[in-house]
Amino acid sequence: MSYARRALAVAWKDLAVERRSKETLNALVFFSLLLLFVFQFTLGGDRERLAAVLPGVLWLGFVLSALLALGRTFLVEREHDCWEGLLLAPGDKSAIYLGKLAGNLALMLLVETLVLGLFVVFFDIDLGRALPGLLVVVLLGTLGLAAVGTLFAAMTANVRARELLFPVLLLPVQVPVLLATVKATESLLLGEPLGAVAHWVKLLAAADTIYVVVSLLTFDVVLEG
Amino acid sequence: MVRIFGWFAAISLLAGLVMAFGVAPREVTQGNVQRIMYVHVPLILASYVAFVLLAIASLVYLVRRDPRADRVAHASGEVGVIFVGLGIATGSIWGKPTWGTWWTWDARLTSVAILFVMYLGYLLLRGTIEDPERAARYSAVLGIVAALDIPLVHFSVYWWRTLHQPPSLMKPGGFTGSTSILWPLLVNLLAFVLLYAYFVARRVRLLRAEAEATA
Amino acid sequence: MPDNWGFVAAAYGLTAAVLLIYWQRLVRREREVATLQRLNAERSHEPSRAGHPRPEPASRPPVP
Repeated sequence: MSYARRALAVAWKDLAVERRSKETLNALVFFSLLLLFVFQFTLGGDRERLAAVLPGVLWLGFVLSALLALGRTFLVEREHDCWEGLLLAPGDKSAIYLGKLAGNLALMLLVETLVLGLFVVFFDIDLGRALPGLLVVVLLGTLGLAAVGTLFAAMTANVRARELLFPVLLLPVQVPVLLATVKATESLLLGEPLGAVAHWVKLLAAADTIYVVVSLLTFDVVLEG
Repeated sequence: MVRIFGWFAAISLLAGLVMAFGVAPREVTQGNVQRIMYVHVPLILASYVAFVLLAIASLVYLVRRDPRADRVAHASGEVGVIFVGLGIATGSIWGKPTWGTWWTWDARLTSVAILFVMYLGYLLLRGTIEDPERAARYSAVLGIVAALDIPLVHFSVYWWRTLHQPPSLMKPGGFTGSTSILWPLLVNLLAFVLLYAYFVARRVRLLRAEAEATA
Repeated sequence: MPDNWGFVAAAYGLTAAVLLIYWQRLVRREREVATLQRLNAERSHEPSRAGHPRPEPASRPPVP
């Protein structure tokens, strides 16, 4: 089986499992709704204050959902005793990484679209011209989170205190991505063109490249045992 | 060899102490509290040395699977975290009387805080994995990811803020402070780097002994 | 500006204390490991005496 075929197989399997059980998706949807309500209770009245904190709040929501989704990436393999199957898989195991990454990316982008939609509706936000730039930033930012998140999820999959260790490892490393996405989102929502946040976009692109390349190179090492 | 490092470290630490209080002048604007700089800056810089060595040792381990590289990475991580933690604490103690606050989210402080938490996570990962071979492998991967992240952290945080005084030691034009400040600083820097080397050498020796004893 | 020697003492004192504590931990752990190594060494000498029925200590003739 070719490399690309194997990666796609992993992604397809994950998405199929998710489509049938909808466990993670349900959890994420309810979680997002909960976030929405909490933010409304704490910030709802004051529109100016809301506009000021919206980028941070939005990405906080994205990150928390990402932690939930990524933390469960290898849950199926762990719970159903398929971990050995991963370790014994023939050929370049980085194909598994790509497949997992693709699946995670799809799931996270779906949830982020949902959250963004909910925010727009419930907080009456006008995205307007900001939307294309926002899409670029969200895509790059999500890729950054998912790239390292998938690698770290594999590393912490069989470790005790996994639920604690995974976010503790991921969040400090992701600070550049978080800073870049929040500041870029802030500028874009204020009506600035994508060119004005070019440095942030370049940082995100550089970060994504580094993260994906390093993960591809080291995933085999992680799945040695 | 460990003992040689130890004695060199002890001597230079003593020299550094003498210079920090005997040779270095009373600073004009801040007063004597500025002498904290002679531990604060060396601690931070020595921790950078520790983290660079951690990155190199991690790479060497992944390529050669030499347990010695793993031990150096482990020890370097431990000493690095202690030094950077102390660096942050002394910086905070220095900041309270001079800036009026224990902490501020400027570029330099934020970057160092992130560094501290990242490498604390590194130690946590090591502590959580029981199998020594797997711990070595996973820590090496984390060490490399963390090292590659450092420039990203630096730039993102720097673009986000700037408040900390511009780095006077590493400015392109060269050091503008007087020599009576420079020499105590350099001596203390050497002292803490030697102390780092001593601690790492001793910790590596202990790690090897532990590995052999429990084999 | 006042000298704030208290802060200087706090900074230097904290540094000295933490580094000393780490050093002591190393020393203590080294002693533990040395004991462990010695026990291991003693235990590994015993199999060479295997096969000889070990007499009770009380009934063993005094070593000349």
